[in-house]
Amino acid sequence: MSEPRLGTPRLGFGAGLRTPHLPYIREHRPAVGFFEIISENFLGCHGGRRSALEEIADHYPVVLHGVSLSIGSTDPLDSGYLRRLKRLADDVDAPWVSDHVCWTGVLGINTHDLLPLPFTEETLAHVTDRARIVQDVLERPLILENPSSYVEFRASTLTEWEFLARLAEEADCGILLDVNNVHVSAYNHDFDPEAYLRALPHERVVQMHLAGHTDHGTHIIDTHDAPVAEPVWELYRTAVELTGGGAATLLERDDRLPPFPELMAELDRARAVADSVTAVTAGGGHG
Amino acid sequence: MADGTPGPGLAATQRWMQAAILDPHAPGPYAPGDVLTASRRLSARERLHIHQQGYRLRLTECMRSLHPGSVHLLGREIFDGFALAYLEAHPSRSPTLTGLSGGFAGHLARTRPDAAPGAEREPWIDLLIDLVRFERAFTEVLDAPGPEDGTGGTPPLRLFRACAPVHTYFTEVRRGRDPEPPAPHPVRLAVTRRDHTVVTRELSRAAYDRLLHAHPEDAS
Repeated sequence: MSEPRLGTPRLGFGAGLRTPHLPYIREHRPAVGFFEIISENFLGCHGGRRSALEEIADHYPVVLHGVSLSIGSTDPLDSGYLRRLKRLADDVDAPWVSDHVCWTGVLGINTHDLLPLPFTEETLAHVTDRARIVQDVLERPLILENPSSYVEFRASTLTEWEFLARLAEEADCGILLDVNNVHVSAYNHDFDPEAYLRALPHERVVQMHLAGHTDHGTHIIDTHDAPVAEPVWELYRTAVELTGGGAATLLERDDRLPPFPELMAELDRARAVADSVTAVTAGGGHG
Repeated sequence: MADGTPGPGLAATQRWMQAAILDPHAPGPYAPGDVLTASRRLSARERLHIHQQGYRLRLTECMRSLHPGSVHLLGREIFDGFALAYLEAHPSRSPTLTGLSGGFAGHLARTRPDAAPGAEREPWIDLLIDLVRFERAFTEVLDAPGPEDGTGGTPPLRLFRACAPVHTYFTEVRRGRDPEPPAPHPVRLAVTRRDHTVVTRELSRAAYDRLLHAHPEDAS
């Protein structure tokens, strides 16, 4: 059995680093366990934003979260992108790098959308091979996230959770479990989100994401522009119970950004949920 | 529900889906229902439409954030029309979104509506193109290597000529004001950075020529 969470450090509870929050963070040094950056926002970026990142990396652990790796694309891996990603990860001493189980384009085009994959043996073999290569280049764990999805392919022969579980095991990589995305996709595709959570290899869940979404009635879109919804908090509790509480938790907010202290309050709620689960588990252990 | 119906293979599926997103009206080799499933609430076509719409919303929003002055000049609806036409002709090939509008000014110059033979030249199009060029230069200088963080020996610099003082218009818009479009008045500009802040200077003809001679690679 592999070492839990691929031997990664316990970073606790963190927030996405967004430019409008930089002045507050630099002045107040809020009590968060780590920051997550969108890798592409800092690739080839110098100047003020880059200086701010370096200052923050001096005081907090920083992990990289990408949106352009395109691990599932049938285009060749972009070696220039990977080199720049490795350099950025080295610069901020990132303990891991994450991206999504998706593709963003083919024929050299980037749609900047996290497009879904057909869950087939062909896709699994393709993504597994590429994940291994990426980990070798980055020289640190690659953590792959379940994206929210709005379409499913008739050709799929595996469920999403079967695909993710086998990918993590066969590529020997980690899982970034986006709890909101499980809720979104469960609604859009009519599956049981708790069954999804139970089916994952829990020792490979290195990080979790919490975020808000928009309900359009016929479907839900993962918009990251609102507080975490109540059903997602319930799923998060289940996810913490199943994973044992060691995975890092990150609050994602990309649009309609509130003042940073409001995000801290939401992060406190995540901490409280995790603490209550740990307390129950510990109590049960002595009972 | 997925039914395991053999599909066209991963590569062909991706080519089909990307084409359907980039150009929803182009005929493709498959109907959405051949490749995608319906849900209880949406047909396969409606589900694909979520991606088709999301692609346009996301990238026009990014274009607006890169070109706030141009949005103010044209109004959001007209700006979005130009941006979508640009994206249709030049889909992104960059892993980052800051590179998204790198060819926007050139596209506008090539497709300007007054380029038809015999058409009268429209000054507002010159203004728009120069404003877009300035906004692009602003973004490039903001993120370029420079002496503040030890990644460049000299401050980044972009030199260019514009048909009007687009820099003052852009600055007013960024400050949340509602400026009138600038009147035609040719200017020569140097865009550079000091202490992480982008600074624009209007230059005399002689100063511009001297700088251009010394830094021909920095002409925009």
